[in-house]
Amino acid sequence: MVDCIVTVKGVPDFREGKVHFKEDNTLNRGETPTVLNPSDRIALMAALEIKVKHGGKVTVVSMGPLGYKTVLQEALEVYGDDAYLFSDRQMGGADTLATAYTLGMGMKKIGLPDIVISGFKTADGETGQTGPQTAWLLDYPIITHVISIEVDTGNRKVLARRLAGEDIEEIESPLPCYIITDPNFEASYRSATHRLRFLKLQEETRARAATIDSVFKAWNATELGLDPKKIGLKGSPTIVNKVEAIPTAPRERTAKVISGKDDQALAEVAKQIAQAIRG
Amino acid sequence: MPLTWTSKGNYQDMWVFCEQNNNQFVPCSIEMLGEARRLMDKYNKDYSADEKVVAVVFGYQIDALVQEAIERGADVVYSCDDRNLEHFLLEPYTKLIAKAAQGKDTYKSYDEPRYFLFPATNNGRDISATALAALDSGLASDSNLLYINDELIRHPVKTKRGDKVEEIVYPRILHMKRPDFSGFEWSTILCIDDEEKDFHPQACSVIPGSFKALERNSQRKGIRIPVSFGLVAKDLRTKIVKREALPKEADLTNKDVIVSLGRGIAKNPTQGIKLGLELAQVLNADVGISRGVVTAKYPVDPAYMQYIRDVRQVGETGQKVKPKVYIALGISGAIQHKKGMDKSKMIISVNADPNAPIKEFSDVFIEGDIFEVIPKLEAHLARALGGTK
Ligand SMILES: Cc1cc2nc3c(=O)[nH]c(=O)nc-3n(C[C@H](O)[C@H](O)[C@H](O)COP(=O)(O)OP(=O)(O)OC[C@H]3O[C@@H](n4cnc5c(N)ncnc54)[C@H](O)[C@@H]3O)c2cc1C
Ligand SMILES: Nc1ncnc2c1ncn2[C@@H]1O[C@H](COP(=O)(O)O)[C@@H](O)[C@H]1O
Repeated sequence: MVDCIVTVKGVPDFREGKVHFKEDNTLNRGETPTVLNPSDRIALMAALEIKVKHGGKVTVVSMGPLGYKTVLQEALEVYGDDAYLFSDRQMGGADTLATAYTLGMGMKKIGLPDIVISGFKTADGETGQTGPQTAWLLDYPIITHVISIEVDTGNRKVLARRLAGEDIEEIESPLPCYIITDPNFEASYRSATHRLRFLKLQEETRARAATIDSVFKAWNATELGLDPKKIGLKGSPTIVNKVEAIPTAPRERTAKVISGKDDQALAEVAKQIAQAIRG
Repeated sequence: MPLTWTSKGNYQDMWVFCEQNNNQFVPCSIEMLGEARRLMDKYNKDYSADEKVVAVVFGYQIDALVQEAIERGADVVYSCDDRNLEHFLLEPYTKLIAKAAQGKDTYKSYDEPRYFLFPATNNGRDISATALAALDSGLASDSNLLYINDELIRHPVKTKRGDKVEEIVYPRILHMKRPDFSGFEWSTILCIDDEEKDFHPQACSVIPGSFKALERNSQRKGIRIPVSFGLVAKDLRTKIVKREALPKEADLTNKDVIVSLGRGIAKNPTQGIKLGLELAQVLNADVGISRGVVTAKYPVDPAYMQYIRDVRQVGETGQKVKPKVYIALGISGAIQHKKGMDKSKMIISVNADPNAPIKEFSDVFIEGDIFEVIPKLEAHLARALGGTK
């Protein structure tokens, strides 16, 4: 049995057509729907793989507004036995250090697992800092950019492959440990038993997601026993001093504009391309 | 666990974590040293100060690297030369940084570094996060523009005195600008003390390629300070058991013709990739993608998975390409994408939106749906290229 906690976050849905902007071209978060952070889906798939192969429990945690319940629901659709939301006005505006402290304290209250798994980056914060900082505060050994995991329950060890810039490394770490999945992580199910269990667990978790309340808990700062100096805006060393829309690139080439329906023009472009390749 | 709770401490210098791989600096390391030199030269003039650029270099048999750090702009190099540290290891490297940054020695009598830069590479980002957790201070990520000045701040928490939010001038603040929210916004991050607690170092990771390295100058002098502390077994609990070079799957940097796909493939990703591949085949081209495609994580046919991985990403944080012909299919033209392809000789873009920003840096802009335009263009190209492909 290997128990896992997976950290997930809600992010604005950045897909084409979903993003709304304010007049000054900055993001209008109120109008943009919140969805499960794409790289946390990968973290959940890693936890599911461990569950399929070794059993145990997968707990999903998030820090954010109460509305994040829908995000946890989306997470449970991938996999989760239960879900916790750390939610409090005072936690608002947290930077990564304050988030890491809050997540770490929450996990301690739930009970520290064999493996914590975080996604690589959030689609909105994009720092990739929260996972390593949480690991550091928990004093867990950390393996980042993980593309595959094997757990050796007998020797209480993890063997993980990770992307280290130009190299692939195989890292061995004792349990408990903290894993951060790379976007290129892939679960592998070679045996038929595993594939069947995978399907069965998937079915179960979707049912749980649909009726999330029986496995869902929200805790506020007091319930978590948090030091008010270490959370939210107050506990964040950094501030965002200014947000501007990124200026669009200055015009550098004067494009010849043609319509995709203009067959003759397309033929002309094809000739130009051919010439450019030869020349 | 955090080691410090400093208040009204003494802070100096700009530190730079210089990542090396197989005993060579990753390019960002020397780029940061160059920028640190420029920033601190200006800082010393502006504030009539004499603060240093301090490089941090860990590894095994690194004398040449220490020398290079000095020739590239460092005044001081903290180094640790240890067989166990030959390759990057997060935990012991973090502990050594924390120890050097907070310890006193012959050179260092201040409490903590004033500023700290890390490369925004896989390893560099990780250690920026753990090091700043260990130092209990703030960190911005992915900066590509830095400057230092005094800043007037009004903040609901940091500048609240009693019940009143005041305006307070914070001196010598490092402004860390970063593109974020998937490239829609640009924010300035500051690391600011509050009434009870100092937050130093002010730190960030730096996007590779943002700054210019200095030419090596063998006349430059600097001092080397070895850091050591008995690494204990626990510090080395994660072990590298194997290490091999990543096969370079998709090196686009020397290609003559590149066909790149963006989120314009969204309505049928598998079909979109297929069309792109067919076009690429006619052109004898390779296929690139925008980051939009990487982050979208489209559910595509497994045979095409390899075409939506980040190794093919073109742009600021991907590959920088300069082909004779670059064809952008359904790519909006975000500035980060532009940075990876605007040296192409000829840029052709196909986009359904007549006002897509990419028009501003295209030579030919084809307005239309890629699913309709690609097959047509392909047929014409097959003819135009005749037997030459
Ligand atoms: C730190 C950081 C680093 C980044 N680095 C990079 C990088 O290296 N490379 C990179 O590419 N991005 C990078 N980005 C992301 C970048 O800001 C953009 O989000 C990304 O380039 C957008 O990808 P896209 O153009 O494919 O998608 P979108 O912006 O969603 O654009 C899709 C385009 O397709 C068009 N379209 C839709 N359907 C069709 C159709 N059927 N036919 C024709 N056209 C259609 C739309 O009109 C639109 O213009 C980075 C962002 C950050 C924050
Ligand atoms: N508020 C949060 N609640 C739970 N997990 C989070 C939160 N913020 C960040 N994380 C985790 O940390 C990872 C990296 O986030 P970031 O540092 O914001 O890029 C995410 O993929 C999540 O797994």
